[in-house]
Amino acid sequence: MGDNGKCLWPLSPAATFDEVYKGAPEREIEYNRFLESVMHPRESGKKPEALDGIRVLDCSTGAIIGHWASSMLSELGAETIQIEPPEGDELRKLTPFGRKDWYFKDKERGEEIGMHFLHEMRNKQSITLNLETEKGRTILKKLAAKADVLIENAPPGQFDAWGIGYRQLSKINPRLVYCWVGQKGQWGPDKDRPGELEPTAQCACGFTHGTGFPKSFGGIPTRSGLWMCDHVGGTTAAMGIITALIYREQVSRKGQFIEATGAEAIIRILDYNWAWYGMDGSIRPRYGNWDLAINIYAVNPVADGYLMVGGGHDRLWYRIWKTVGKDRPDLEELIVLDKSLRVVTGRLPHYAQVKTYTTLCEWGKDNTRQEAEDKLLEEEVASGGVLYIDEVAEYPHFKYRGHVAVIDDALYGKVLYGTNPIFAEKTPARLKWIGRPVGYDNRDVYPRLLGYTKKDLSSLSKEGVI
Amino acid sequence: MSNNVDYGKQSFEKYCEETFGIKNVFEKPEAFKGYRVLSCTQYILGPAAASYFAELGAEVIKIELPKAGEPMRHTTPFNEPFLYPLSRWYPDKGTGLGFFGANPNEYFVGLDFHKEEGKEIMRALAAKSDLMVENYRPGTFDRWGIGYRQLKEVNPRLIYLWEGGFGGFGPGRSRASYDILGQSQGGNFSITGQPADMHGHPSKHTIWLADYWGGMMGATGALAAIYWRNNKSGQGQMIEYSQVHGVQRQLEYALPLWGKFGVVRQRWGNWDTELSIHGIVMCGKSSYPDSDNPQEQEEGFILISAYKDADFARLAEVMNRTDLLDNYATHEARITPEAQKYLYAEIEKWTADKTKEEVAEILHSHGINCQPVYNSKEVATNPHWQKRGAITWIDDPSFGDVLTQGAFVHMSDTPPRIKWAFKPVGADNHYIYQKLLGFDDGKITDYENRGII
Repeated sequence: MGDNGKCLWPLSPAATFDEVYKGAPEREIEYNRFLESVMHPRESGKKPEALDGIRVLDCSTGAIIGHWASSMLSELGAETIQIEPPEGDELRKLTPFGRKDWYFKDKERGEEIGMHFLHEMRNKQSITLNLETEKGRTILKKLAAKADVLIENAPPGQFDAWGIGYRQLSKINPRLVYCWVGQKGQWGPDKDRPGELEPTAQCACGFTHGTGFPKSFGGIPTRSGLWMCDHVGGTTAAMGIITALIYREQVSRKGQFIEATGAEAIIRILDYNWAWYGMDGSIRPRYGNWDLAINIYAVNPVADGYLMVGGGHDRLWYRIWKTVGKDRPDLEELIVLDKSLRVVTGRLPHYAQVKTYTTLCEWGKDNTRQEAEDKLLEEEVASGGVLYIDEVAEYPHFKYRGHVAVIDDALYGKVLYGTNPIFAEKTPARLKWIGRPVGYDNRDVYPRLLGYTKKDLSSLSKEGVI
Repeated sequence: MSNNVDYGKQSFEKYCEETFGIKNVFEKPEAFKGYRVLSCTQYILGPAAASYFAELGAEVIKIELPKAGEPMRHTTPFNEPFLYPLSRWYPDKGTGLGFFGANPNEYFVGLDFHKEEGKEIMRALAAKSDLMVENYRPGTFDRWGIGYRQLKEVNPRLIYLWEGGFGGFGPGRSRASYDILGQSQGGNFSITGQPADMHGHPSKHTIWLADYWGGMMGATGALAAIYWRNNKSGQGQMIEYSQVHGVQRQLEYALPLWGKFGVVRQRWGNWDTELSIHGIVMCGKSSYPDSDNPQEQEEGFILISAYKDADFARLAEVMNRTDLLDNYATHEARITPEAQKYLYAEIEKWTADKTKEEVAEILHSHGINCQPVYNSKEVATNPHWQKRGAITWIDDPSFGDVLTQGAFVHMSDTPPRIKWAFKPVGADNHYIYQKLLGFDDGKITDYENRGII
């Protein structure tokens, strides 16, 4: 284990078409078959790419938000060049709990790279450029003249002070779409308290306060295990960028300045928090794995883990208790004979939710996730276990559809990764390579775009510019 | 703001304020003016995808079951807050706040696809649209004769975005999904929350993340498809977005770790697996001890970010604990699980007699990054977010003053914007059906009475 090229996945092979559709009547699967024929990622490589011809410079470094944004563009076909300082993005060194034995190494140089960074370098070329030098900034201006999109995440005003901000670059290249990404923004009272990295934005936008169990249940505010705001903020950046490209081509013939932040991306989608506060001053409380607005709609413990069950309206409510009643008639009775729970709205008060879920857990403790899911499915109730990562990777549906896949990368060997979820009939997102060592593409990008010779490159390298 | 002004001498911050500030937003053009989007959607995932286009200026037509509307209108925290009326037909019922945020700037019409006239209307609308979003079970619209295969015959330029749980082919093709199920099965649930040995459980992201963000991802695909259609091919296409698949895209190092090393990523609570010190600690003193709201009475929490060696050394000094530098001066020493358990406990001893604001002030004055954990009131009243328009009061044409989130991104020339929160069911029957299909008042009334629209 641990050698390049070895991969434990899959433990069992993905199902075949015949196995998946065996026994289903043709009339029913005709649509599935159509969809599979146009959507399955196994055909993606043959199709055109939506953003083919767009060139992106990703100057962001030290945070995932910009890399996520450029990944969305590179997976959709944009030519994406990752610009790193000569010593490489510091994220390359990140590895869980400092475990150096979990680095990947490329076959050509044996250079170490952390998995988090590798997973987000997809389809990008890596070049080095020292923007702290005057010469480096001059080179960036030349590159920007030939680019459609530039992404950066320097401290507010840094690029502007360096003469490579939107105000300056838009004069050199009026068609440039320039996007700044960060946690809290480059203007406003807190701009100088930016917080460098996630989960800063999660804490600043109200998400963390509302996630986790209530204090009375022994809980505290809880961050997402992921650098979630980077993913969401990076997605809003990509949306803004593609929008600006469409507007540029069809209407204005020029680029624009975009600002995307992790915190505001979440503020935009934080449910009803703001309207509720505005209405009566309510502060959204934590409610653990239950829901303030729907009962049953929750994750609770079962025999071998945790299970999600959903069904707030009468039709599903009574089916859930019918399922429970097949094993435990006493529990079904406890609920269905309770007059206070007969109306949907009667089930929402906290005491009603406590009664509902303690009763459901009493049944769940004797069932595994799979047993419970199968029993509920008999009554057409949607449920599903909380899956651990190995279970996610091996789950038959995901394996079959290629949600999770292995790329046999020319440099990094076999890497298991999460594929881009944008399945499309004509221009699907796709992975071409997983990542590159530091400055690997200097020898391609600089000669191709700026006409530099090998000699130019080696003297720039000696000067510490690339 | 005019682009002819010379900003050369203006400070960068001032320049940004004028470029992005909310006071200028409504004077600027909209990127998708002239585009039309049909949103045949319920709950959050599908509606959200269409709503971002509405923010960007597209004419988004939200199609709901006549009179009663879609189920999300009946969803609201503790069944308390509602905005009235639900529709002209139900003046004494309201729309729950669960509907809020997923449907801004849209036009609301009723339409029953089960009726033959409804299907005809659907085809006529699709013929005049750029994008259609739907989130019914896979194949439902196809069976009704209004799916992608039929509508592309009517309008080859139409982009058809299906947003759903598991996707329309494969072993789990019939499975229904919700946001929380997408989180459960996608994998982000099992790596969020306090670890078991700290009395924790896997935790859901409280926000309907897989729905709202899933809508963004689907919209990203649709945007790319619009770009490709406009500039390359002239053709529409179908896009399929599975929310559980979206979650799998965001698992960071979890999948490479499992694939190569056979290690299952676990949850690590409020700390960080890759950076230390970079975690949330409890501040023992409540910021609002006299409040009668339990949300405010509880202890404060703050994210402290001092993972760089120099920052950690300053932190140790500030805490008067330079002894910590004996063993933990380097990131390599601080990042192990044992070191993190020890160090965060030591930091919490220091924060035990302080509020989160007190801790923030001390750390900021020493140049150490930190961020108090804000509750929704602290966010809503925060001058930074107010100034940036992230949260703002609007005078909604249907519901009066409402506090709403701002746009999802800032753009200098074509900023997205929130014009209204939403409208009652069928509020735009006259406007849309007259404008697009030429229905007269009599026909609209007749169709309304027959429950078609």
